[in-house]
Amino acid sequence: MTQDFDHSFSGLSPQKTGQRTTAVIWRWVSERGVRLETGEATLARYTALAGLELPEIEDLIPADGNVLLILRRGAAMSADLRQALSLDAASRPESSGTLHQITVEYGGAAGLDLDELAQQAGMDRAAYIHSHSAVEYRVAFLGFQPGFPYLRGLPAALHAPRRASPRVRVAAGSVAIGGGYCGIYPTSGPGGWHLVGRVDVSMFDPQRAAPALLLPGDRVRFVAA
Amino acid sequence: MIEVLRAGLCDLVMDQGRPGYGALGVPAGGAADPLALATANRLVGNDRGAAGLEVTLTGPMLHFPAGGVVALAGARFSATRSSGAAVPWNAPLALAAGESLMLGRAKAGCRCWLAVRGGITVPLVMGSRSTFLPAGFGGYQGRRLQAGDRLPTGEAAAEVSGRVAELAARPDGMALRVIAGPQADQFDDAGLAALFCTPYRVKAASDRRGLRLQGAAATHRRSALPSQGVMPGAVQVPPDGQPIILGWDGPVTGGYPVIAGVIAADWPRLAQLQPGDTVRFATIAVDAAQALAVAADSIGEWG
Repeated sequence: MTQDFDHSFSGLSPQKTGQRTTAVIWRWVSERGVRLETGEATLARYTALAGLELPEIEDLIPADGNVLLILRRGAAMSADLRQALSLDAASRPESSGTLHQITVEYGGAAGLDLDELAQQAGMDRAAYIHSHSAVEYRVAFLGFQPGFPYLRGLPAALHAPRRASPRVRVAAGSVAIGGGYCGIYPTSGPGGWHLVGRVDVSMFDPQRAAPALLLPGDRVRFVAA
Repeated sequence: MIEVLRAGLCDLVMDQGRPGYGALGVPAGGAADPLALATANRLVGNDRGAAGLEVTLTGPMLHFPAGGVVALAGARFSATRSSGAAVPWNAPLALAAGESLMLGRAKAGCRCWLAVRGGITVPLVMGSRSTFLPAGFGGYQGRRLQAGDRLPTGEAAAEVSGRVAELAARPDGMALRVIAGPQADQFDDAGLAALFCTPYRVKAASDRRGLRLQGAAATHRRSALPSQGVMPGAVQVPPDGQPIILGWDGPVTGGYPVIAGVIAADWPRLAQLQPGDTVRFATIAVDAAQALAVAADSIGEWG
């Protein structure tokens, strides 16, 4: 346990070890929470840890370059988990993920910010839509709301900082841009991302066997309606 | 069946939650003090995982047309029943057919839990009967109770327990115990001193998603960072420096620096904070907190 204590207070900054610089790989963030630094290998490490099906793991939450592992109440970390956490995941193959083709109604009432974003990007509306729908996105993780996907792959020209003041209400199914991510709002509610269009599929339904339409690692192609 | 004659401020059907869906963006949720609900369930002969009611600040008036056996645990509320007999806490309470139970205001603390023999048998959603208000699913039609609602109840698993189970007293006046957060090193000395050495007041805009605090600004160097997984108890600090302790129905990812994490053994104390209360923070070692968590859980084990 002493080793864990040291680990948890060692900070996130790289530590000098002789001539080599090694980053801290994991640390406690609560007595039941472990934060794992995963960088570009987030999906691979999340998939690998989930695949172990270790009884002490209550939940795994992948995010932007990190994974939060939550232990069951009162459970201790097993030797297997300790070993899995310290492994280098660089060599792990990433699963290919399911490909989803999702039709988008771009602009107008469905995408209130599209014209403004296109102007900022120095494109006309058609070029913006083409640029947004020409690439394949990858679901990096879900968060914010149940079923809200953070999609990687947005062309750099389309990156846009979040709105200065969030909208009080964004319609369910809105396709939105927040920084370097594209996302889709599963339910209507407040939102601070720029709206470019809307989809007509249910992103999240707790009554379905698979409540979230998109899972971490899935791939998405948008098709203009 | 239980009929709601008058709703309280926020009566929610809760069980032990739905852990395991964090990757879908769904928090575990469930009773804010799962051991208190488990204790109430034990008293009425239910399984630990049966659904009951979580009552916040002001309770409901409930009618039992066919009678029933209930138990209350958690914060003490003013309470009366139509027969005029006493309403004990931490003990089974038999209600005659046609009797009503009236819960008033919390005398101290914020939340109590009511278990009913047989449990509240609303449908399971993603493996749980807990209400998840932010997305409006689970519990009773995904919402807080309203007058006129009729809650289905089921069959009990075991005999009513005659024992009075007292949860271990929790040191309410003491600081909330925290483990340094993943971004603690991004706070300057003044910010760290503010959080760990000065009191904070719980703001009215607090709910199961998070407890918003008001006090000395916990200043830090960065206001935005890559999204990270977060769990209940995480102390997030937005750019204004006023901390938010994430609650049971909080988001599973966040983009604000996390300065500390309230240990799970103290989450039940978070459940009893009401607007205007004062909190302080004190650090604890991870291994000491893990030992506490094991001890706390053993209280709720079936004896």
